[in-house]
Amino acid sequence: MDRKPNFRPPGLADRFLTWFCDERVLETLQGDLHELYGQRRNKSGKLIADFNFLLDVIDVCRPFALKRKSRSIYLNNNIMLKNYVKIAWRNLKSQPFFTLLNTAGLAIGMTGGLLIAMFIYDELSFDKMFADSNRIYRVNIDMRTGGETNYYASVSGPLAATIKQDCPHVEMVTRFRTMRSALLRKSENDENVKETHVAAVDSTFFDMFGLELLAGDTRTALKAPNTLILTKTAAEKHFDLSDALGQRLLLNNTETYKVTGVIDDFPKNSFLRDHHVFVSLESFDDAYSKAWNNFRFPTFVKLNPLANIDDFQDFLNTVKESYVIPWAMTFVPGLTLERSRSDDEKTGNFMKFGHIALQDIHLHSGDRQGEFSPNGDVKNIYILALIGCFLILLACVNFMNLSTAYALRRAREVGIRKTLGANKYGLIRQFLTESGLISVVSLAMAILMAYSVMPFFNELSGKAMVIPLSDPAFWLVIVAATVLLSLFSGSYPAFFMSKFMPVKVLKGSQSSAGGANIRSVLVVFQFVVSVFLMVGTLVIFQQLRYIQTKDLGFQKDQVLVVDDVSAAGNQMASFKQQVLQLGGVERASLSSYLPTPSTRSGITYFVQGSFDAANAAIFGHWKIDHDYLSTLDLEIVAGRDFDERIYTDSSGLILNESAVNMLGLQPEAAIGLKLTSDFHRQDKENMKFMTVIGVVKNFHFESLRNNIGTLSLALGSGANRMIVKLNPGDFSNVIRQIEKKWKAVAPHQPFNYYFMDASFNSTYEAEQKLGRIFVIFTILSLFIACLGLFGLTAFNAGKRIKEIGIRKVMGATAGQITVRLSIEFLKLVGIAVFISLPLGWYVMNKWLEDFSYRIEISWWVLASAAVLAIVISIITVSYQSIKAAMTSPVKSLRSE
Amino acid sequence: MKIGAFEELVLLAVGALTDNAYGVSIKELLREKTGKNPSIGALHSALYRLEEKGCLISSEGGATAERGGRRKKYYTLTTRGRNVLIETSKLRLEFSKNIQGLNLRWDGS
Repeated sequence: MDRKPNFRPPGLADRFLTWFCDERVLETLQGDLHELYGQRRNKSGKLIADFNFLLDVIDVCRPFALKRKSRSIYLNNNIMLKNYVKIAWRNLKSQPFFTLLNTAGLAIGMTGGLLIAMFIYDELSFDKMFADSNRIYRVNIDMRTGGETNYYASVSGPLAATIKQDCPHVEMVTRFRTMRSALLRKSENDENVKETHVAAVDSTFFDMFGLELLAGDTRTALKAPNTLILTKTAAEKHFDLSDALGQRLLLNNTETYKVTGVIDDFPKNSFLRDHHVFVSLESFDDAYSKAWNNFRFPTFVKLNPLANIDDFQDFLNTVKESYVIPWAMTFVPGLTLERSRSDDEKTGNFMKFGHIALQDIHLHSGDRQGEFSPNGDVKNIYILALIGCFLILLACVNFMNLSTAYALRRAREVGIRKTLGANKYGLIRQFLTESGLISVVSLAMAILMAYSVMPFFNELSGKAMVIPLSDPAFWLVIVAATVLLSLFSGSYPAFFMSKFMPVKVLKGSQSSAGGANIRSVLVVFQFVVSVFLMVGTLVIFQQLRYIQTKDLGFQKDQVLVVDDVSAAGNQMASFKQQVLQLGGVERASLSSYLPTPSTRSGITYFVQGSFDAANAAIFGHWKIDHDYLSTLDLEIVAGRDFDERIYTDSSGLILNESAVNMLGLQPEAAIGLKLTSDFHRQDKENMKFMTVIGVVKNFHFESLRNNIGTLSLALGSGANRMIVKLNPGDFSNVIRQIEKKWKAVAPHQPFNYYFMDASFNSTYEAEQKLGRIFVIFTILSLFIACLGLFGLTAFNAGKRIKEIGIRKVMGATAGQITVRLSIEFLKLVGIAVFISLPLGWYVMNKWLEDFSYRIEISWWVLASAAVLAIVISIITVSYQSIKAAMTSPVKSLRSE
Repeated sequence: MKIGAFEELVLLAVGALTDNAYGVSIKELLREKTGKNPSIGALHSALYRLEEKGCLISSEGGATAERGGRRKKYYTLTTRGRNVLIETSKLRLEFSKNIQGLNLRWDGS
């Protein structure tokens, strides 16, 4: 029947009518309206007819005409559900290859997604376990002097008391004091145990963080000088847990401390995770020092429940002018508030007190001086989240591609279902059931796989995560993920297939499965992501290699570091001499300072004659001995090294090139310059000056993320490390001999040693972790993309089996056919490569901007990523292509 | 059985049109007889209600080109519809008898 009327009423109104009108009413109603429209059109013209039609359509919006749910159909579909599951199961079983590809792709994608989600969840959970953690903040200082800005996580000692006294918004203040490692032993024992993370803290510690003591009393613990508390782990090292309380421990062989409490270990996701010994702050002489220039005290505050953090920040903004400057005025003659302000304005110097929420420390604090533990970086979270989304997206895309490609095989089924009365929605439900089934299976597999690779992943990421199988919230998320996943990946195939016209598919005229364009776009998308990740991985690894092999300006290979040599007391020098006499040892030096990145402070210098604040120069300050420069092969560019025969060298100073630059001098001109850091004293005539005797070539003592800082080297005692340059040969033998000597001079003291290059490399652990994680997820994404490509080629070859047969009969060679089948997909990969290379280049350049010393992304990195992607996809595609090309035409053509 | 005044008119029109009572023709007849032009929405709404009340039954057929190939819905009076019409007419007659100058006659029964 011809459905076209003589006149066409306004389309929009007509479509609106079709949209709101119930199917059972629509036919006659629309017919009547069209008939009327025709009459009016003949009588009064188009305009009036159109207008009247519109009015009528609006008028028809009456209850009788509106769409309504029909109870009978609804019930019917619920009955069908069982059938859907059964049919879905049979379908999946009848196409094992397709099912395997789909499930494997989704499962691998979900495993990656799950691991990343857990990683991110863990990163976000930091420091949330403390009671009231949302009210706890840490005070920071940003300080710029002498052209260099430093960021501190630890602040001046008097600040805590000041806040407690004068800031009404704060309920409680807790002050830590940074310490390094310490040696611990029971006084009656001889063997020391090294504790790497020791902190001092005042007795509000327990209230501030809501800590419970396993033994001891929170009201008295840590109150008195020379008391300490231990974590369970530390306590068990020395005592039985039950009788640890009240025992005495010798710290660094010198001071006796009483154990006044035992706390539980801190969780892995807290800022105190590595700390096991807390000494009472009262034990330190400087605990009540009035000096504001000593940033040794990490300070935490807990706000009043009703207070606003901005109020607290307002208070912090006043600290410098209300407390720090008045303190400085007591010893700097002529200093006034106005002068300090104008000086700051002139020099651009500043000292800012700021804050960071406890929960933000891990991801947002960065790398401030005096952090308790190495922090994460929120940028990595974003990168990983993106990769996780990509992985899942890739897997879903696979599913869509394979499902629509294979839909042709189902076309007849759809046609018959439709003729038997299935409507579109029923069919959609059926296909969604199928994708749901696959999602459930692959998610189950994903959980299983994630569970089994978790130990490996933990090692990789430095975490201790477990899949929370007993947590209902986890299962809730999993169920939600299953539903979302099946809806997302199944919806396109479902709508696509349910649209098949029964007449066409049953006649067989719908010969191609259609949707080929969308499939192409999706394949391109998959390879864009994969190639991009490949470029990223290659760049990260190249940069890491660059860092690790870059000439740093000092010798880091074959250099052994022995820690805690001060435990040998006055035997230290003799130990050094004994070590030097060993066959495998070339040189040795005593100094606490290593040219590997670590937290250390600078010292302010003035050049003789100019004591204006604008001329202050802050240099890093290392105390070394006569052999330091030669042990590390540091190069002198002007002047000379320290000499044991020249006794005035005790007030000599060696600067690095950066420091000389900052003074605005050439290296040669700096020799003989007199500097002082002794400007605080009242009796100016007795001020001590240091003479520059040499300039050392710049060497990288900071992470390569930063530029080389300024440095001053002076002779000094109090070394706690010995740096030993070894001759090539059997290191383990030499180390054994050194240990023997150590045991002789310092019996019972632990012998802690490591190689300097290992310690250096650990600085770039974050990058290395990122690199390894990138590799894994790159491989995963490439694998998923290839799975999809593999499935598509297989499908394509299967579809064209007759064409191939005919081509062969006509004389085409297997090679020609292989090329013909492969080229179609390789073109897509080619397009993807062209899109992703500039993208990868751009994004990775942004990443590299974080490093002061970085590689240029060379063309061959991009080229090799492209070649790798193309080679892998050729291998993927050609297997199926060759298989198809080799099939005998007799087999493929005999059925017709 | 209660029906409204408009419904009564529609019912009358359906009866009058015998076997050609569908949307447009009913509308035409009503316009011709009453001089008022009922909207198609109101008409269909009434037809729908009358069918629900059992006064009418419908059958489909007669698609034409000007209808875009859509079928018409032909309405026929049921016995019930017929009875309703008789009842209402009787009522009117009863009333009119008592009014001076009104001399309606009805010889249906």
